[in-house]
Amino acid sequence: MNNFEYKQAEDIATAINLISEQDNTKFLAGGTNLLDLWKYNLTNPSGLVDINRIHGLAEIKELSNGGVRLGANFKNADTAYHPIIENKYPLLSKAILAGASAQIRNMASNGGNLLQRTRCYYFYDPDVPCNKRNPGSGCPAKEGYNRIHAILGTSDHCIAVFPSDMCVALAALNALVNVEGAEGKRTIAFADFHRLPGDRPDLDNNLKPGELITSIDLPDKGFAQNYSYLKLRDRHSYAFALVSVATALELDGEMIKDARIALGGVAHKPWRSTEAENFLRGKSANESNFAAAADIILQDAKGYGHNDFKIALAKKAIIRNGLMALNPQSQLPGAKPSA
Amino acid sequence: MEDSNKSIGKGINRIDGILKITGKATYATDYPAKNMAYAVLFKSTIAAGKIKSIESTEAQKYPGVIKIITHENILPLNTKGGLRGGALLQSPEVTFHGQHIGIVVAETFEQATAAAHLITVEYNQKEEKIDFDNLAKTPEMPKGKELADLVRGAGKSALADAEVKIEASYETPIEHHHPMEPHATVAVWEGDQLTLYNGSQIINGAQTAAAATLNIKPEQVRIISPFIGGGFGSKGGQWANLVLTAVAAKMVGRPVKLALTRQQMFNSVGLRQRNIQQLSIGATKEGKLLTLAHETISHTAVDSEYIEPCGDCTKVMYEVPNSLISYRVVPMNLILPTYTRGPGKSTGSFALESAMDELAYTLKMDPIELRIKNEPAKDTSNGKPWSSRTTVKCLQEGAKAFGWAKRKPEPGTNKIGDDLIGYGVACGTYPARQRDSSAVIKLSLKNKVVYATIEIAASDLGTGTNTILAQTAADGLGLPVKQINVKLGDSDLPPAAGSVGSVGASSFANAVNDACIKITDELLAKSGKQFFVRPTAAQLMISEYIADFQTRSDSKAPAEAEKYSAHSFNANFAEVRVNSVTGMVKVTRFLAVTGAGKILNPKTARSQIIGGIVWGIGMALTEESIIDPRYGNFATRSFADYHVPTNLDIGDLDAMFINEKDFIPNKMGVKGIGEVGIVGVAAAVANAVFNATGKRVRSLPITPDKLL
Amino acid sequence: MRSETQNLNHLKQGDCTVNLTVNGEQKILQVQPWVSLLDGLRDHLNLTGTKKGCDHGQCGACTIICDDKRILSCLTLAVMKNGSEITTVEGIAHGNELHPIQQAFIDHDAFQCGYCTPGQLCSAIGLIKEGKAQTREEVKELMSGNLCRCGANIGIIDAIMEVKAGGGHE
Repeated sequence: MNNFEYKQAEDIATAINLISEQDNTKFLAGGTNLLDLWKYNLTNPSGLVDINRIHGLAEIKELSNGGVRLGANFKNADTAYHPIIENKYPLLSKAILAGASAQIRNMASNGGNLLQRTRCYYFYDPDVPCNKRNPGSGCPAKEGYNRIHAILGTSDHCIAVFPSDMCVALAALNALVNVEGAEGKRTIAFADFHRLPGDRPDLDNNLKPGELITSIDLPDKGFAQNYSYLKLRDRHSYAFALVSVATALELDGEMIKDARIALGGVAHKPWRSTEAENFLRGKSANESNFAAAADIILQDAKGYGHNDFKIALAKKAIIRNGLMALNPQSQLPGAKPSA
Repeated sequence: MEDSNKSIGKGINRIDGILKITGKATYATDYPAKNMAYAVLFKSTIAAGKIKSIESTEAQKYPGVIKIITHENILPLNTKGGLRGGALLQSPEVTFHGQHIGIVVAETFEQATAAAHLITVEYNQKEEKIDFDNLAKTPEMPKGKELADLVRGAGKSALADAEVKIEASYETPIEHHHPMEPHATVAVWEGDQLTLYNGSQIINGAQTAAAATLNIKPEQVRIISPFIGGGFGSKGGQWANLVLTAVAAKMVGRPVKLALTRQQMFNSVGLRQRNIQQLSIGATKEGKLLTLAHETISHTAVDSEYIEPCGDCTKVMYEVPNSLISYRVVPMNLILPTYTRGPGKSTGSFALESAMDELAYTLKMDPIELRIKNEPAKDTSNGKPWSSRTTVKCLQEGAKAFGWAKRKPEPGTNKIGDDLIGYGVACGTYPARQRDSSAVIKLSLKNKVVYATIEIAASDLGTGTNTILAQTAADGLGLPVKQINVKLGDSDLPPAAGSVGSVGASSFANAVNDACIKITDELLAKSGKQFFVRPTAAQLMISEYIADFQTRSDSKAPAEAEKYSAHSFNANFAEVRVNSVTGMVKVTRFLAVTGAGKILNPKTARSQIIGGIVWGIGMALTEESIIDPRYGNFATRSFADYHVPTNLDIGDLDAMFINEKDFIPNKMGVKGIGEVGIVGVAAAVANAVFNATGKRVRSLPITPDKLL
Repeated sequence: MRSETQNLNHLKQGDCTVNLTVNGEQKILQVQPWVSLLDGLRDHLNLTGTKKGCDHGQCGACTIICDDKRILSCLTLAVMKNGSEITTVEGIAHGNELHPIQQAFIDHDAFQCGYCTPGQLCSAIGLIKEGKAQTREEVKELMSGNLCRCGANIGIIDAIMEVKAGGGHE
């Protein structure tokens, strides 16, 4: 547990080199999830490469295509409160502020937010099987206490959910993830970044070993007029989502020109449904159309007992959030549910 | 000077507040010791069976490791020494998941933790008894005599003749105390003398239990506990970690610090057990109760019994000719349950007061009216007269202050936007008792100023003991509070009761008050003078030029108290908003009106009651620990899964006190408020949720899914 | 009895030097990289005002102010903060003059047992400095990372609202 080597990298190349030198070395940014897991003996890195001092990663800048680049080391709180984000991408701001606590948002990096591990009870208990933690050992959640677990995109091997709020908004906004590794740089569309569990639930995302997230690009379109992030949970703050919904609408009068709906707390990744979004295009922005969209999104939803309620809750949340997006002022701080 | 010289009854600031807001208040792990070693516990990963082997070769070799202690090499301990919950490493038997099975002592906390992770244990596993849902179908009679069936009149059979009946089952989950300070100890041996820095609600109880378990004399053990980071019952009785720290220190010959991790708190220091409560009420159409039956099924440890008395409120709340209070129990492979804030009364009142609300709704009667209609003239459980009873006053004054008249009796009819508004009421009670306590007062005169030191082995876990004792002494001696130094939290001080069961304030304050009277008497006698007006002790010190004077008083409850039934009572009023779409509940307003005799300090008392309300809101809406019976362990094992209410969960809470003068239970007329504050709260919230939505949730906590 | 060399065993495990300014004073920590900032403050600098409530970032008791921001010292390695300026509960008063939030906590009885209080105070100072919370509800939301098991929530929020209204203070 304690035997990790700690090294600080001052630039990206050094960081990537340090990672590739040794197996089981991890990048350390905010540390809010990695150190949590390490203290529980759920991860045992042989080395930590502290990337906090890498020049240029803790920035936010406007891009020539009208979009914005969020540095991987830029903090969650700084992102949420940045004037560009507040004005142009208020959905992202809302989603970030719905997650964790003020202290954690001050510590957590944007890159690290994408790499959070699940909060599945069984993943967090080293004394029980878990395919994500210990491939091939089984998934106790399926027949166990699965109140917080997934209803969409599950597999026989894993029904864990991805816990981020920020990423639900990033998914809705079609963000791009810029990564760099030993083989060079590449850009991953947000929808392709996280993965469904399938038969490899140990893999949360499609990063290659040793690749470092350097930044996240937000496209020009920010849906600043009609957006809403709704997070439903077991207490009013500082709890992971039972269900969350990011809704972004582009309206022409009452008609929906473009719609994005992403769900959190329901799957192994932020959940998007192109079919539902296509359905909404050209339709009136009203309760019945949001309900129909919800039915499309949830058509393959499957409960595992304790989480059956999430299907009904998700439908209500999608409808309600669609209506809230029509009047973003109806949202209260911290993504509180009621006006 | 204000016109009243009295300090008692004034809401002065906590005298120890300055230490708490500057980081100088010292909790157990804040004590430094030279050459300290750090210990961590490792725990069983099965719920029932026997340890076959413990492989610790790697751990032994780990840098900094000093010693690994298991049942194979630990010093012998007395397992019947008065600690709760077993787990003293005296045998290879495992009776619950998470039982302590060993200690790693190392130079640093990090080394001890890392080494503990290297230890592997093999077991001969037995089939565990842990599945409450199944086991509760065939429960046993409890062993405790106080839990035998209590039948009055025709008992439950009278239900058959009732015009109106309510029969319902209410469930409350396992809850954990989770004081913000995890249980922790620093143990320092000096020869045969042991000092234990350890948060203890009962200082002398911790001392005697530690001594008996270690097979040494109580005089050899000193407990130091000036500050306690919350306890709520979990630091009342002491648990194995206290003595295991002492043993580790003995075995390595160095001071040892051992703190439980938050995760270990789930199965090391007790819990509030799950209860299934069947309530049966028979009444006339006019709302007079005919019969009341309260049957509880709960669980306990396999080798020890503790059952929280859920029927206690039902025994005394209402005038009813026929009644039954019963308990059945399931021994389970789980840590021993223990006293948890408002033990029995908080959970029991959820069932009783929900059922009363159901009856009121069935009768189309105002729930306050129903309660007043069934107000008992005396304690029906024992026939004793009330020393005083404030239920009706609490209800009436509370209704007025809360705006109860605005409540719409028909559920689901009070709506603002998507939110359904509901009002709920529920009553509660907790016995008022005084326990034996002694106090020493030391007076000294310096430059014509008298200073007093109060010594008593009392405890202050945030309850305000320091402050109320200073106020009591101030009035009793004729001194300003700032000239009084309160010393508590140390077993070298005169013995006292504990801060448990709401006996702290009455026991400690009466002891100090008695000592004040005694020292004044003695100073008067010493002066040999006659006075027209009785002088204060402070005046006598000055007039008689006495440099130092001290006395000790040993106080007991008045003999007369036994002839009466003495209780604190309350009425709780809740306003909730339930989002009709999402099912999320918010307690927007809450008022508790309490009759608890003399309120020594309205400021700290109010905080106590409000703390009780917050606990009740947690019980009603968020708190629950879930066991996975396949593994015998909790699935929910962190603060991310166990939802203590956050600041945002708390709406406008208020507390009012009835001006009650009841000097029967004790001379000062103090009744205690720590426990009663939570009693009735969850029911008031659940009743408000029903009023808002028309949905009767009989299983706590009321999470959004239950209202969809 | 163990020998001196055995007692020094732990020092072989790759100590790092961490320079910190803590409550205005220069401090040098010699710690292994896996020592949290929380344990570094408590066990190595004997600044025990900062509390360990969960050690996993779920209670807020260990909140300190690091380079002007409130963070959780339990989820921070001490080595990560080399060169940082840290304020703990011991350093928020100016000499004998209490910080307004400290006085407000006393006046509003914003604590009972006091164990979460150091974290609440540092968090409140961070919140006021951030300037993002205007309404009472916003203050509650942005103070929800600090649990209080005694239920002093009302007093905590009242105290912060009072200091905010007073304005001017940091």
